[in-house]
Amino acid sequence: MELLFLTILVCLMVGALISGFPVAFALPGSAILAISLAALCGWLFAGDSSAYFADGGPTQWLSAGVTNFRSLYWEVERDTLIAIPLFIFMGIMLQRSRIAEDLLVAMAQLFGPVPGGLGISVVLVGALLAATTGIVGATVVAMGMISLPAMLRNKYDTSLATGTICASGTLGQIIPPSIVLIILADQLSSAADQASTMRATEYREITGEFSMPSHLDVVSASAGDMFMGAIIPGLMLVGIYILYILITAILKPNLAPPVPYDGAYDRQFLWNVLKALVPPLALIFIVLGSILGGVATVNQAGAIGAVGAILMGGYRIFKGDRHVYTPALLGVLAVIGIVLVLSVWSINVKNLTSPGEVFGFILAVCLTIVLFVSIGWSTWRVFKTDNTLNEVMTETVKTTSMVFVILIGAAMLTAAFRAFGGEELVRHALTSLPGGFWTQFIVVMLVIFLLGFFLDFIEIAVVVVPLVAPILLAAPDANISAVWLGVMIGLNMQTSFLTPPFGFALFYLRGVAPKVVKTLDIYKGVVPFIGLQLLALLIVGLIPPLVNYLPNRIYLTSENAPPPLNPKLQQCLERNVFANYQRNEGVILAAIDTMARVDMSALPEDMQNALATALTQSSGTFALVDSVNLASAVIDQASVAFGPLHIQVRGIESDIRKLRTEIKVHEDLIDEARFDTSISAGDIAAAEASVAVLNEDIMQLNANIPLSWEAENAAYQILLSDLQKAQRAYRNHVDNAYRPIQEAIDLLANPESLASLAQKIERIDAMVMNNDADTAMDLIKELSAEIGEVTGADQVGVLVNKARRALRGSAPDQAKALDFKDQALAQLAADLTWMRQANQQVLPGLKVLEQNLNDTIGVRLQPRLSEKLALSVAACQSVHEDVSLSF
Amino acid sequence: MDIEAVIAQPITSTYRRLNWVIRTIGYSMVFITLIYLINNYLIVWREWPGVVQYFLNQSEATQNQGLLAWLQLLSYLAVVPIALYRMVTTPAHRMIDDSQRLSDWSAYLIRVAFWSVVLIGLFDGLLSWMRVEDLLLPVFGQELASNLGKSIFRGSYVHYPLILVSMLMAYRIKTVSMSWLALLVVFAELWIVVARFIFSYEQTLMGDLVRFWYAGLFLFASAYTLKEEGHVRVDVIFAGKSVQYKAWVNSLGVLVLGLPLCWVILTLGMWDSTSIINSPLASFEISQSGYGLFIKYLMAGFLVVFAVSMILQFCSYLLKNVAILVGEVEVIQDQHDDVMA
Repeated sequence: MELLFLTILVCLMVGALISGFPVAFALPGSAILAISLAALCGWLFAGDSSAYFADGGPTQWLSAGVTNFRSLYWEVERDTLIAIPLFIFMGIMLQRSRIAEDLLVAMAQLFGPVPGGLGISVVLVGALLAATTGIVGATVVAMGMISLPAMLRNKYDTSLATGTICASGTLGQIIPPSIVLIILADQLSSAADQASTMRATEYREITGEFSMPSHLDVVSASAGDMFMGAIIPGLMLVGIYILYILITAILKPNLAPPVPYDGAYDRQFLWNVLKALVPPLALIFIVLGSILGGVATVNQAGAIGAVGAILMGGYRIFKGDRHVYTPALLGVLAVIGIVLVLSVWSINVKNLTSPGEVFGFILAVCLTIVLFVSIGWSTWRVFKTDNTLNEVMTETVKTTSMVFVILIGAAMLTAAFRAFGGEELVRHALTSLPGGFWTQFIVVMLVIFLLGFFLDFIEIAVVVVPLVAPILLAAPDANISAVWLGVMIGLNMQTSFLTPPFGFALFYLRGVAPKVVKTLDIYKGVVPFIGLQLLALLIVGLIPPLVNYLPNRIYLTSENAPPPLNPKLQQCLERNVFANYQRNEGVILAAIDTMARVDMSALPEDMQNALATALTQSSGTFALVDSVNLASAVIDQASVAFGPLHIQVRGIESDIRKLRTEIKVHEDLIDEARFDTSISAGDIAAAEASVAVLNEDIMQLNANIPLSWEAENAAYQILLSDLQKAQRAYRNHVDNAYRPIQEAIDLLANPESLASLAQKIERIDAMVMNNDADTAMDLIKELSAEIGEVTGADQVGVLVNKARRALRGSAPDQAKALDFKDQALAQLAADLTWMRQANQQVLPGLKVLEQNLNDTIGVRLQPRLSEKLALSVAACQSVHEDVSLSF
Repeated sequence: MDIEAVIAQPITSTYRRLNWVIRTIGYSMVFITLIYLINNYLIVWREWPGVVQYFLNQSEATQNQGLLAWLQLLSYLAVVPIALYRMVTTPAHRMIDDSQRLSDWSAYLIRVAFWSVVLIGLFDGLLSWMRVEDLLLPVFGQELASNLGKSIFRGSYVHYPLILVSMLMAYRIKTVSMSWLALLVVFAELWIVVARFIFSYEQTLMGDLVRFWYAGLFLFASAYTLKEEGHVRVDVIFAGKSVQYKAWVNSLGVLVLGLPLCWVILTLGMWDSTSIINSPLASFEISQSGYGLFIKYLMAGFLVVFAVSMILQFCSYLLKNVAILVGEVEVIQDQHDDVMA
């Protein structure tokens, strides 16, 4: 029965959408209708309103829907969505300040004389606008009004001209900052969570082990990741478009003739070009740069962009002729000033330590006030001129509300879809496709492409993505990253703007194109660009690092990069490090040998021993490296034969699991019959018969499992655990070998910080003599804390502590305290002597050794990855690795 | 759709019948919503029995409150006849005027909500900041400072009065409404940028303020967006159809798709004191950290504002589209534009 209502739901949804009622209400409305209908029918015909739901009842699912509404703004995790109104504000502000027009004119003059130059300039402006506003409609309209007449006047082919304009306009979808990427990131992060859970469950079922190793987790995606991932594909698309136009212009010059520029290339020309180009470029640089540099979150960058747009609008639309550029210049100067101040002093309001910092703070406050004045002035201007601010704000809230109410509506629809078991159905349909991940993926992409003919991106992103993304992300054989999936879907949905008959870009262009341009010309014009789009999709699909590399690289080189000990990094890290072992074996052994011959007599005996052991262990590392290499070579070889068998058997097993769940349903019914008299004997008999048939099927499936499976699997598992053992042994070994070396270096590096303690310990005298016992104890406690922060001062610290404890209780013993203080000083002096000596004799050798070991034996204990390693680990992690054999 | 004023229209009996039927439907819907909200207040905050509790569930606790329950039931039953009587006695009122009136009510509600979130955001932001920086004690003294640290006190003595002030301001100032939240969100987020990057100063309350205003932004703007035809449609068929078809779709859509959504939000969110809107509102829920703004409970209330403003706007939309259908007004220019990309 659920299936019937699922069909009703889908029909209602399609009907409601096609009728033309606003999507934001058609989606939840049809969901509510279907749920109510199912509840009503259940109540009428089965006596129970929840009878026709896959599980749960109507109120439960409707409540789930309402809770989903609230979660849109209730949870801190969904804060990325806040970036959407900010970027919309920025985009509409820039649109109103007519930077598109300025850019188009300047670029056309600049590129006109090249073959296909006008077309190329349209693509470049499209890309620039995409990186600032990203609003398809605005871009297409601007280009349709300015460039299209110019292109037609200069005898451009109508189809080529219109196609170029439509395609360039849609670049805003994929070039960040883009709203579709933010929405996709929001949808994909919850999909990735689901996929991780699915994998963990599968792992548990198959291996019987409770927790899944973290490197098998599904990699999630934030909006920032999506932005970074989309940059290279976006630029690649721009390149493909330009190349296409250039080649067309060269092969068939009459389609896209060069347009000579009449005016002179003088200072005025340069100034015009700069004036049109520099501000938007600066804004792009700041907004994208702060996201890519990991400096600002996407939301913060959005605010910066919106304010930058206000500043630009402040001079561009201003009608007076005095102080036209003053507010913008003030703002720029204030920002430059602030950057300078910050490069001199680090200002933390809560912790201004030096007079310099206080001065810097005051300076920063003044500059911030200047900045606010400039923003306020510009805001006042856009408010006063042509009611611009009001219009921008109104457009922003309208557009934002439109996007978000659809998000809300889709939440209700998803709840209804689940209520009728739709999710399970889609999962079942997808997973039962033959051919594993790639068939599923291609089918999904095809569906999205086809839906793109009728729906626009928000609907696809919020209705289709949550359904299919978890399944695709969970598939272990492709093990794709969420960023890659997101960018692929984004690229695919970009075509929805181009596909006749209902592509948005086509509508916008039709609206502003001159009468001589026939609609058919526009349709014909976009066809090659849709082809180029699919080509880009294919390239990105075949080369995932195009997407994955940039986010990985920025993450691993950022300030909050994971330390090399992080288990997720081990696989790629070891691949690199093992190569280093092979390359540098001689150097490493020589370095260890040199160190072994250094005179370490200045050190205390236990340290000498520890270092000696560390050195021997270090030279023994190579044997363990070999054993890991051997084990993984064995695994690789075994996988070749075992892989196909594994896939076959896991397929059969998953079929069996599905049959088992079906059996469970029937058995539940039979159980229920004992309490529920409405279930007739016939139903029970039918259920029992089905169970028998299903059991038969399971038997048959079981018989299909090759006889050799158990033995081969057991053998393979042994090899796998051998590898894991070897890896564990290697990791423990290098950590143990390197730790004493690292500790010794830390200890010996700075005896002077230890020496500086002497003075402070002297002060205990005054503390004890001039205060009562309690105050003295507090003061000494503070001192202890300070001592605790200095490496190598442990023993001194213990003695100081004893001095404090002597003051405890009813009879504080001052003399004893001072005695301990003297002991502490003596200990300090003794420690200093050997440390200073060792600092001269031993430390240089240790440092050389560290230099030689820090990318091999010592790599795991480094506080962070070296630049070089981070890059190669990023490259290695950008490739999707097949992990299906772990399941 | 831009609408031209009334064209000379012979008043037929069909028109007369439709006029009062549709107006009755619209006003009943609005007043039932109002009564529902009042009853919800009485049930959750004043412990009245509630119609469903008393008549359907017959729980023990509500047995001796028969009178109150009957009153509540009566309040619902009375709405339709009163609305009906009013509409029948005023046959000369045009639907398009009533549509405008409901739309104005919706706009007023949104203005109240707008001023409330602005004022509460600013004042509560100030108080929360003073609390984080330990300034409450020196400024307000021991007792008031500790009271201001409690969400019930702040809700009752700071937020509620501010909402009253907002009602007045919304009444007086008609030109400023929720669209300014767009600028406020930009500036609030800019404030985070400045504080974080220049002064290394970060507080949860700043993020809370952005979230507070941003949630208001898209929920409060929905009614206005509907009025301005800003909600995107799949216009594969719609775009090419006649004005009549469009008016039919809009009217039926409101009744079948739009209003049920609002009612689901109101009923399921406010069914009893543990529902997801009532429970935060009743307990003055605040965010976990305790050092942000004390406004989380108000954000639950945003959904009520959304639902009620949408009910008003949907009813207005219904009246307008029926007015088009029966030829009370004529559409002069028909285009809907989406700026969205």
